[in-house]
Amino acid sequence: MLAYIIRRVFQSVIVLLVVGLVAFSMFRFVGDPIDNMLGQERTQADIDRLRTELGLDKPFPVQYFKFLQGAVEGNFGVSYRQGRPVSTIIAERAPATLELAAVSGFLAITLGIALGVFTAIRRQGFAANAIMTVSLIGVSLPTFLIGILLIYIFSVELDLLPSFGRGETVKIGNWSTGFLTASGLKALILPAITLGLYQMTLIMRLVRSEMLEVLRADYVRFARARGLTDRVINFRHALKNTLVPVITVTGLQLGSIIAFAIITETVFQWPGVGLLFINAIQFVDIPVMAAYLMLISVMFVSINLIVDLLYYAIDPRLRIDGRTA
Amino acid sequence: MSDLTQKPAPAPSRPSRLAQMWDSDFAYAFRHSPVAIVALLVVLVLFLAALFAPWIAPHNPFDPATLNLMNGFTPPGQPNAFTQDTFLLGTDDQGRDVFSTILYGMRISLFVGISAVLLAMIIGVILGLVAAYVGGWVETLIMRVADVQLTFPAILVAMLIFGIAKGFTPPEYRNQMAIWVLIVAIALSDWVQFARVVRGAALVEKNKEYVQAARLIGRGSFPIMFRHILPNVLSPVLVISTISLALAIIAEATLSFLGVGAPPTQPSLGTLIRIGQGFLFSGEWWILFFPAVTLLALALSVNLLGDWLRDALNPKLR
Amino acid sequence: MFLRSSAIGLVLLAATAAQAADFKWASTTDPQTLDPHAVNSAPVLGFLNNVYEGLVRRNQDMAVEPALAVSWEPIGDGEGWRFNLREGVTFHDGSDFTAEDVLFSYERASNEVADTNSWFAPVKEVKIVDDYTIDILTHGPNPIFPGSIANWMIMDSGWAEANAAALPDKDNGNYATLNANGTGAFRVTAREPGLRTVLEPFEGWWDDATHNITQAEFTPIQNPATAVAALLSGDVDMINPVPIQDAARLKESDEVEIIQGIEARVIMLGFPHEAEALKYGGDAGQPNPFKDVRVRQAVAHAINVPAILATIMRGNAEEASQLVSPAMSGYSAAHADRRAFDVDKAKALLDEAGYANGFSFGLKCPNDRYLNDEAVCQAVVSMLAQIGITAELDAMPVRNYWPELREDNYDMYLLGWSPGTFDAEHPIRFLVTTPNPDKKLGSWNFGGFSNARVDELLPLIQAELDAGKRQAMLDEVTQIIQDEQTYVPLYVQPLVWGTRNNVALTQRPDNFFILRWVNVN
Repeated sequence: MLAYIIRRVFQSVIVLLVVGLVAFSMFRFVGDPIDNMLGQERTQADIDRLRTELGLDKPFPVQYFKFLQGAVEGNFGVSYRQGRPVSTIIAERAPATLELAAVSGFLAITLGIALGVFTAIRRQGFAANAIMTVSLIGVSLPTFLIGILLIYIFSVELDLLPSFGRGETVKIGNWSTGFLTASGLKALILPAITLGLYQMTLIMRLVRSEMLEVLRADYVRFARARGLTDRVINFRHALKNTLVPVITVTGLQLGSIIAFAIITETVFQWPGVGLLFINAIQFVDIPVMAAYLMLISVMFVSINLIVDLLYYAIDPRLRIDGRTA
Repeated sequence: MSDLTQKPAPAPSRPSRLAQMWDSDFAYAFRHSPVAIVALLVVLVLFLAALFAPWIAPHNPFDPATLNLMNGFTPPGQPNAFTQDTFLLGTDDQGRDVFSTILYGMRISLFVGISAVLLAMIIGVILGLVAAYVGGWVETLIMRVADVQLTFPAILVAMLIFGIAKGFTPPEYRNQMAIWVLIVAIALSDWVQFARVVRGAALVEKNKEYVQAARLIGRGSFPIMFRHILPNVLSPVLVISTISLALAIIAEATLSFLGVGAPPTQPSLGTLIRIGQGFLFSGEWWILFFPAVTLLALALSVNLLGDWLRDALNPKLR
Repeated sequence: MFLRSSAIGLVLLAATAAQAADFKWASTTDPQTLDPHAVNSAPVLGFLNNVYEGLVRRNQDMAVEPALAVSWEPIGDGEGWRFNLREGVTFHDGSDFTAEDVLFSYERASNEVADTNSWFAPVKEVKIVDDYTIDILTHGPNPIFPGSIANWMIMDSGWAEANAAALPDKDNGNYATLNANGTGAFRVTAREPGLRTVLEPFEGWWDDATHNITQAEFTPIQNPATAVAALLSGDVDMINPVPIQDAARLKESDEVEIIQGIEARVIMLGFPHEAEALKYGGDAGQPNPFKDVRVRQAVAHAINVPAILATIMRGNAEEASQLVSPAMSGYSAAHADRRAFDVDKAKALLDEAGYANGFSFGLKCPNDRYLNDEAVCQAVVSMLAQIGITAELDAMPVRNYWPELREDNYDMYLLGWSPGTFDAEHPIRFLVTTPNPDKKLGSWNFGGFSNARVDELLPLIQAELDAGKRQAMLDEVTQIIQDEQTYVPLYVQPLVWGTRNNVALTQRPDNFFILRWVNVN
């Protein structure tokens, strides 16, 4: 097991290096930072001078090496746009995204599993079918449109919830939290629904489909024949055995929650790293883009690692395989 | 698990089994599912409308020479104040007939969606099966590539491909290129889902007796992967493909919201919604409403049909 | 009835009096720095005009009025200008304002690393006469100089030096990037870049405060629909801009007011004047038809500007006949008519030029720079199609757009120009004279248009003190630009702000939001 973990960590480092390379080579296609940094009355001399100052005139491998050198020390350079260290900016913005992602993820997993189990057990029931259909409407529209529609209904028409931002936040050390104020909690509702809706539906459908299969399996029939109660069968036996694909997908969805946060944060002007990233793209703020990508790479790679390890914990059949793989 | 007897044994004559299924259970289940019938009807109508758009649509919205800007913002069914022209579903900001743009836009959306899902499925299933079955460094390599791939949100993949393609495409082909770039970008951000799930399921299947039996009687790797393991991991693949088709169409819309979608002169359903959302507060509701409803109907029916298909095709549920 | 409504009025008054404590506004972009010399861009300068002040400032009508200087007069025969400074002015941190600070701010703002250095190209030397008098000597007579430095903001020399911010540093940032210490009506009390900036009135301001704000908070909101929703739901008191299509509908709302004006920015189409061949479309590689003035004129005749204004701009913009709007000084009233929309004439001109069967080319367009820029370009495509020429539209974000234009990757392009000096000389210098990097001329003349007479007239215009003679020369240049159809000016971009109905404010044509003109009732 230890050897396996060490091997995986080593692989993860290589993954991060590759991500860094791909991300870095991509920036030359995103646009030119110079025009956003200079005003209307700039001259070609100003452009050339700034390019030299930023090191953009250096060959690509030199730029990449310099970036890696800094990244290893946790120094991602200085934002072109804000003129402050990128690490400071990201540390400021991360709590907003993490809180939003945590709430959406929690909603998606709890509601997804609960509704999935319900719709599987009451497969033919009216309520189950209604839930299945309604949940599909939510994933049949683009996220940005759902967000805008929610704002339109709940902020503009009903005037119940704030239309943008995080509300009031409280600082606990370096962490700014929206969990402790009424306005902060209210501000979380619409973005969390927007962000979690798709994941919830996906998890729910998956749990349902896996449950349906397992409930037909022999061992469940035997269990039923042995006279075990429905509750024990449904939760002890059936649900547990649906968890392999559910964990895979949930793990993947945790990642896409962060990725999709980009859109939700743009629609709701949520001051997280996703919005920061979109701003960075808009202004070709290469240091911020690079740091963001490296950061979520670290996160994705860790999630992958955890999912793989959980596989081992849950499905004993895989343990034998693990030594060879 | 001792479900060797339960599993449909490696079918000696697959086509006949398929035909049999089509004749009996499958058709029976379909006839008795009103949701499936309605969903299929909607999907069929929309597919046909998209396919025959040039014959159905009253205007060709992709031909700028036929547009009259003064027709812009005509409400549905009412004559335009300047030109007195009337349009069934109104016109957009460029004076394009909304009904026609929806038909043409759906063509592009469906083309992008279907192509992207097919591409993602082919890549994902093959790589997932190979990873699970071959194992070793091949598996490691594939799954690490998947990690890298997952790390990049679809929008970034799309932008990267746009950028690179821009560097390599002659300028005069740039506009046509956008659609292909979208397909590849969506497929590339989607294949990992297939690969991971297929691998996860195949890892379980791989150790089951029927696979080991097939190996014992000397079957090669390739037939085992595709004849034996593949049919048994199709259930999760179906779940994902159905959502993926709807998702791909929606992903295209999202990408266009972020500025990397189909060009505005040849709008897809997603581009129409992106443009239309700008008119949400301005009173021209039809510019957003009709494309959004069309997208909803399309994605919803595909999803419902997929739901039903999955249950009906799953041998374990019969 | 009277009683009831006045009771409601009282309740409203009580409610709004509480709101007056807190004014919130939103715009699409955050000022990227608080350093007034680091970035020469409208969001930065507009925002900082509330915090810092220059020697002169512009009033509600854009006229130049005294600020930190109480008066100024030319020195000798056009050798420069003498500014008499205001006494008793203090910075936000309490230190006194003197000529020393002006000299320091000149050196800071004109430094090579400052983005504002082009403003000081005409300046030879700045000399302190005494604590409250300063001479700014110019290379030659410069009648428009005082007006050209309204955005040159004065920073306290002691504060900047004490905080190691003697020069702007936009690459790594410094103390002045995040903190401000001006003489203006408001001081910055909290700054979270990209999230919010809080301002409070400066008690020690030298001028009489006419606003009733006790605290103001600025939030950037990028998505226009979100901004409109925030205004409608009362989460913010003012937004800039309002998406143009929403203006009419918002006007009907009881809670929201729309404030409309004409901005200084003229939107135009540009051509490649030097390129030998077309680069895009079906005729890529064929000789460049836009070198023929008749083709350029045909394009001008083909564009139905009134239709664009009526639909896409919803009647909120005005046609443009030249590179500046009528509100700018030096506008040529003699050339107020643009080429009429006339499809037959356009076709005849094409025929004459040998393009009776039309041709195909590429149109480049930004999609996030000007109001409805992409929609306007689409309309241009369909209008050009009616005279038989096929434009392939390539719309892109502005971050990709300028590099493309700089590399001459276009057959036709869309450009907006707002003269920083509010004078007709500005676009001639940047857009029309032959590009000459050494003299900092023609730096936005992407197409490489070159006309000897314009090149000859520009320095004369810059030095002419007599308004009549100057206007005659500007008229002549305008005539040349119209005859040559160097550009096809389309319209002057509208300015649309939205406020809650209890807010009174003044909208300036340069799109600067001046907080001291705001009153919350």
